[in-house]
Amino acid sequence: MPTFGSFALLLALALSGYTLLAGAVALYQIAMRARARVAPERLAETARRAGIGSFIATTAAAFALVWAAFNNDFSVAYILHHTNRALPGPYKFAALWSGQEGSLLLWAWLLSAYGFVLRLRHKVDVKLTAYASTILAGVQVFFLLLLNFAAMPFSLVSGPVPQDGFGLNPLLQYPEMVIHPPMLYLGYVGFAVPFAFALGALMMRYPGEKWIHITRRWTMVTWLFLTCGIFLGAHWAYSVLGWGGYWGWDPVENASLMPWLTGTAFLHSVMMQEKRGMMKSWNVWLIFSTFMLAIFGTLLTRSGLVSSVHAFAQSSIGTWFWTFLIIVMSVCLFTFILQRDHLKAENKLESLVSRESSFLFNNLVLLAACFTVLWGTLFPVLSEYIQGNKVTVSAPFYNRVAVPIGLFLLFLTGIGPLLAWRSSSFKSIRKNFVLPSIAGLAAAVVVIACGVHPWEIFTTNEQGSFYAFFAFSLGAMVVTAVSAEFLRGAGVISRHTSQNLFASMVQLCRRNTRRYGGYIVHFGVVVIFIGIAGSAFNQSREEELGYKQSLNIGPYRVECQSYSQDSNANYDTEYALLDVYRGSKKITQLAPEKRFYAASQQPSTIVANHSTLAWDLYVIYAGKNPDTGQPIIKVFLNPLIAWIWIGVGIIVGGTGVALFPNMTAALAAARNRVPAAAQAAAAVPARGGD
Amino acid sequence: MIIIACGLLFLGILFYVFYPERHVEEQHQKTRLEYLRERKDVLYDNLRDLNFEYRAGKYVQEDYATQQADLENETAEVLAEIDVLESQPR
Amino acid sequence: MSKLFRLGRGIVIVLVAVLTMGSANTAVRYNELGHKMMCVCGCNQILIECNHLGCPDSDRMLGELRVSLAGGSNDDAILTAFQDKYGPTVLAAPMLTKFNIVAWIVPPAVLFLGIAATVILVRRWRLRAAAIPASPRATEFPAMRERIRRETQL
Repeated sequence: MPTFGSFALLLALALSGYTLLAGAVALYQIAMRARARVAPERLAETARRAGIGSFIATTAAAFALVWAAFNNDFSVAYILHHTNRALPGPYKFAALWSGQEGSLLLWAWLLSAYGFVLRLRHKVDVKLTAYASTILAGVQVFFLLLLNFAAMPFSLVSGPVPQDGFGLNPLLQYPEMVIHPPMLYLGYVGFAVPFAFALGALMMRYPGEKWIHITRRWTMVTWLFLTCGIFLGAHWAYSVLGWGGYWGWDPVENASLMPWLTGTAFLHSVMMQEKRGMMKSWNVWLIFSTFMLAIFGTLLTRSGLVSSVHAFAQSSIGTWFWTFLIIVMSVCLFTFILQRDHLKAENKLESLVSRESSFLFNNLVLLAACFTVLWGTLFPVLSEYIQGNKVTVSAPFYNRVAVPIGLFLLFLTGIGPLLAWRSSSFKSIRKNFVLPSIAGLAAAVVVIACGVHPWEIFTTNEQGSFYAFFAFSLGAMVVTAVSAEFLRGAGVISRHTSQNLFASMVQLCRRNTRRYGGYIVHFGVVVIFIGIAGSAFNQSREEELGYKQSLNIGPYRVECQSYSQDSNANYDTEYALLDVYRGSKKITQLAPEKRFYAASQQPSTIVANHSTLAWDLYVIYAGKNPDTGQPIIKVFLNPLIAWIWIGVGIIVGGTGVALFPNMTAALAAARNRVPAAAQAAAAVPARGGD
Repeated sequence: MIIIACGLLFLGILFYVFYPERHVEEQHQKTRLEYLRERKDVLYDNLRDLNFEYRAGKYVQEDYATQQADLENETAEVLAEIDVLESQPR
Repeated sequence: MSKLFRLGRGIVIVLVAVLTMGSANTAVRYNELGHKMMCVCGCNQILIECNHLGCPDSDRMLGELRVSLAGGSNDDAILTAFQDKYGPTVLAAPMLTKFNIVAWIVPPAVLFLGIAATVILVRRWRLRAAAIPASPRATEFPAMRERIRRETQL
């Protein structure tokens, strides 16, 4: 099987190389109207098919690796190092991305899968797709070169084949780990598609902005994957690492956040281009940077440039990535300089106070946030270079620098929808701002009355309540603004059609799925902010608990029922059984564990968590007192955490709405039962405004 | 066994890639007319949006009037050019 | 002038008093300082949050922190002592010294510069846009305008 895998990889490389070369030659011939023996269209068609073929070959390779994992083929070094016989099935699957070679294979496979879909759907715009497909093939070639020559997943073990493998890192033996990395990679890799389209459109001097419309769904889906990937990672960290938090500002987490920030900026600012023909160069560079940041993130974590807890897979392929990054940068720069006259804006900004300029500021702040994260991640390297010693840049830095930027962004989330396109006069602004401002102020008063005192930031070192105060008040403002948008819009439809408000709201969403789906996403963002703000009020206690001893935290009493140890083929475990009481009523029983995995000789925490909407009771087995043999139990009371995951759910829903095609104007008019309008609009297939 | 599998994969893909296809999708350059129609759609959407937002109470009367006039001017130019191009014989 | 000076001195005294007020409680300080440092075992976790089984360093370091707090040193002295012992990477974020201050200044500076640049850019665009008077041409196409309005109805 390893032979088959290696062969498939080599074949995939050859096919991608063919797609790149033949595609480039064909496009050149078509662009120059050069005469050729084979018609360039035919050549382009073979290139497209070779691209599809490379997907099949890469799939075969990925299949070979998974097959080897399931059949305990320890002659393959990768399988030896990342699995063992006792490993449960799903985790054998997850072994595909638990090490460097495997995760690069996953990258390559996902990339070719995206390419496969793109090449299948080439009829959307044959020429543009041909360009995008060729560019994508270039990226594929890079990853396949890596897999064939630098990080071979199928290299064999030298000497006798061992009886059992070294096992999977126990931190990765958790259900979410089976979906978190592929999600994240889907997000990372996915940005290659809008990148390829943007670069292609620039190369061919694509007339108009339709290409944005073509890539819109790609970008949104990719963004959604990245968002889910990031939050699944956060949830995994929360439920596995057992330090009571979900985000540690680790370089790898930062690496995933950076393309997310620029990608979010891109999603917003393309609307300006689609609608007004503005900010073309800006958008092109946003998507270029997003893609390069995705590559850079991989580089960051794979090359050992910065140290990280996620160093599941490190090696010396840094040079490859640097080279690739420089090539990508050069190609982008060269194309941009050559074609920059094509990117001249058609419209000008009319007013400082308009939806357009709010997008501008939103972009600016998102980019500033991205820069802050990049700066914080790279500062240790810079410091070592300049002052000769490494420093640590961790949570306290980001809490002070990045969180305020995040809150500013939340503020803009509330303002943006209130401003109209083109310009808002002072009168219009007053009209729209009164309600959200009142809501924000009211929330501020309530929050202070509830005992959150933002001025504590001046008397103590704690910024928590200060941030929480702003998160809650701004959250109220944004929610009011978004709801007002929905109600106003639904009101218009309701007046027009005399439907009830709910039906009008549904129709409102269907008329302009992107805008109202986007608002739902904003609502989800607010909910996430609320959940994050809860962390300002975290409590924790750590105590040794003997039989029937208990500790109190918040409204709960945690009583130790028993503690013991156990073992199976995969791991040894120590655990405690704890009854949780609220008042005198027993609510649940929790069983925090500490495991020691046999194959990898590594310990791991199993958190016990009782989650409610108000707070999580989060319990870990911190260890055993060697003198008494009694467990040491650490208990956290983390308020509002559940809302983070609920917020993500809302974001998924909102993006889902935005992905839906709009109800055409014709249909909407027909629904509105205005015959004249229906007749007139029947000829106009229309999509939504923004 | 492995060699057969490799060979099958290779030949299968080779056959698929170079199978002589009769009908090949043509890559055509977007015409001015197509481009203008896209522009028209976008401008129409913008106008619809403007109308809608006005009715939703987001604009005051004078803002609405100027912006409607601006957009209508722009659309009218596009429409005029479309009419000219459409009336031309191909 | 001297009044202004006295006022300024007053404000400084109040500020210093306010800023040092919170450091009274040892438990609070223990928690705060524990969050300001990293565990040095290589786990890359905040000292007080480091929880992995058999960590060779975190318990010992937290013990040292308790001892220093009991010894009555102030926060800065404790952080400096830790830094001297374990190297600068023990601090979870760089202090405001020498080059390290750059770490703190650059991101907000970039944000403010960006905002300023955006405002200037928008103003310039606006001036340029205002220089071109709106064309009155479409008023010549009442029929066209009628058609547009009809086709873009709600």
